Amino acid sequence: MSNLLELHNISKSFGALTALRNLSFHIGEGEVVGLLGDNGAGKSTTVNLISGIHKPTDGYLSVDGRKTLFTCRSDSADAGIETIYQHTALVDSLSITRNIFMGRELTDRFGFLRQAEMREIAMEVLQNAVHISGIDSPDTLVGNLSGGQKQAVAIARAVYFKKRVLLLDEPTSALSVRETEALLNQVLKLKAENVSSVLVTHNIYHAYQVCDRFVIMSHGTKVFDVAKADTTINQLTDYVVLT
Amino acid sequence: MTPILADSAAPRSRTQRQSILKQIMGMPAGAIFLVFMALQIVCIAGALLYPNEFRYLSPQNLTILMKAVPVLGCLALGAGVLMIAGEFDLSIGSVYTFTAVLMASLVGAGVSAFVAAPLGILAGVLIGLLNGQITIRFGLPSFIVTLGGLLFWRGAVLLYNGAVQVRFDPEPVFTSLFSGTFLGINAAFIWIVLFVVGFHFLLHRHRFGNHVFATGGNRGAAEAIGINTNRVKLIAFAIAGGMAAVAGILATARVGSVQPGQGAGLELQAIAACVIGGLSLRGGRGSIIGIFLGVLLIHTITDVLLLLRAPGFYLDMFIATLIVLAAIFNHLIERRGVA
Repeated sequence: MSNLLELHNISKSFGALTALRNLSFHIGEGEVVGLLGDNGAGKSTTVNLISGIHKPTDGYLSVDGRKTLFTCRSDSADAGIETIYQHTALVDSLSITRNIFMGRELTDRFGFLRQAEMREIAMEVLQNAVHISGIDSPDTLVGNLSGGQKQAVAIARAVYFKKRVLLLDEPTSALSVRETEALLNQVLKLKAENVSSVLVTHNIYHAYQVCDRFVIMSHGTKVFDVAKADTTINQLTDYVVLT
Repeated sequence: MTPILADSAAPRSRTQRQSILKQIMGMPAGAIFLVFMALQIVCIAGALLYPNEFRYLSPQNLTILMKAVPVLGCLALGAGVLMIAGEFDLSIGSVYTFTAVLMASLVGAGVSAFVAAPLGILAGVLIGLLNGQITIRFGLPSFIVTLGGLLFWRGAVLLYNGAVQVRFDPEPVFTSLFSGTFLGINAAFIWIVLFVVGFHFLLHRHRFGNHVFATGGNRGAAEAIGINTNRVKLIAFAIAGGMAAVAGILATARVGSVQPGQGAGLELQAIAACVIGGLSLRGGRGSIIGIFLGVLLIHTITDVLLLLRAPGFYLDMFIATLIVLAAIFNHLIERRGVA
């Protein structure tokens, strides 16, 4: 089985600063990977690299075993990768429907929106693909939703557009305990549908709940790569803190 | 599927039971609509009670109102789209004058008005694109760039034409098309209504409008999803410039001449109309019908104060109060939206 996404010896420098050194890891089909590390370990740079915002200085990415180069966001989106950032995912002043279809609107050939159709799909996605409590209408403005509900809408969007990998950047940092549970369950549910996820976080406990494998970064490179069965939460903590 | 539908129907029937007042308040331009209607009711009642003292409903007054609205309306529509995209254009008042002078002098030189008017609009669009290019290329606040534009094009009018008025003598067909009367309604007013309908569909029913709201509402999110926000902003700048030129055409066709100083202050009135109409100064919020109601409200108040023979400075003070009240109100709504 070829891996869905692979990073091969990737380095990235910004001028004199080396953010990533010789980083290699992979994400399998339907696998949940926890990308762990303390602040400044290079997690965000890695996310930006995978989502096409940064280009590697050295090394390359491959999707389904084929070497690729992401030069912009839409390249990674075309490859089926959706990055869900904590704060930049949605537009508060637009409705849920318009957010789900933002940039990918269903239109007639003159570019006019097929509103009824989009609304219906949004309703269906909200009710079936992700179960979000407390949202009764796809016309609700996203600004009126809680942090967890917002993330659920962002995930619903990725699910509807059939993404294969979700990159979740610090997904739990602004969520309540209950919302965190709901989000982690969502990740597991997507895994059952063969959607891979990468949880980028420094909350080891949240990652430990759902991840199949852990990649721990420190000073811009990978220091540990281990399956959940072969490790303990204490060992993971040691690696994050001590390396 | 059926039980889910029944589920989601429940809260909607609850909202249906809300009072009509609350429903209107909940709509994008609901509050401004209520204020506008209240003012109309007061004015009409006053006109019926005192037909000789307060001639609000007289045909002359209604004609004056219909002639006054379109110019500010066109400026505000363009400025409003740009504001929703998250940028300002302070140069539209000067562009309005510059393109009008350009058009009138072309006609004076023997060019057909039907050629000169599109050239004027083209000039407006190009100036808008230039404002947008400078703003985006150098990452500057559009406020500063277009403040430069305001002074530059005001100066350009004087350089090109001097401080004298330009006569505008187009073909009679052109005049009747833009300032004639059709079915008892002023032609310019019909134009502005058409523009409002067109802009409504563009902004609220078209993909481009969705991108405008996304760009102004959260630029990072719009870019992350693959919307070219620079392109959206450039087009919005072009619309603002083009609509300034259209306003110039309507004003010039009505008056038959251009005064080099006529556009001063109009850009601020246009932005005021937008704010009164519910647009956020931070972008991403607002509606076309709100902008239009904002324009109507400014002109109704102006008209009422004139009918009451109030001194001119009352006018500025009234509009000023209205702007600040509207801004406070919008801010409260936004805060409620975020909470």
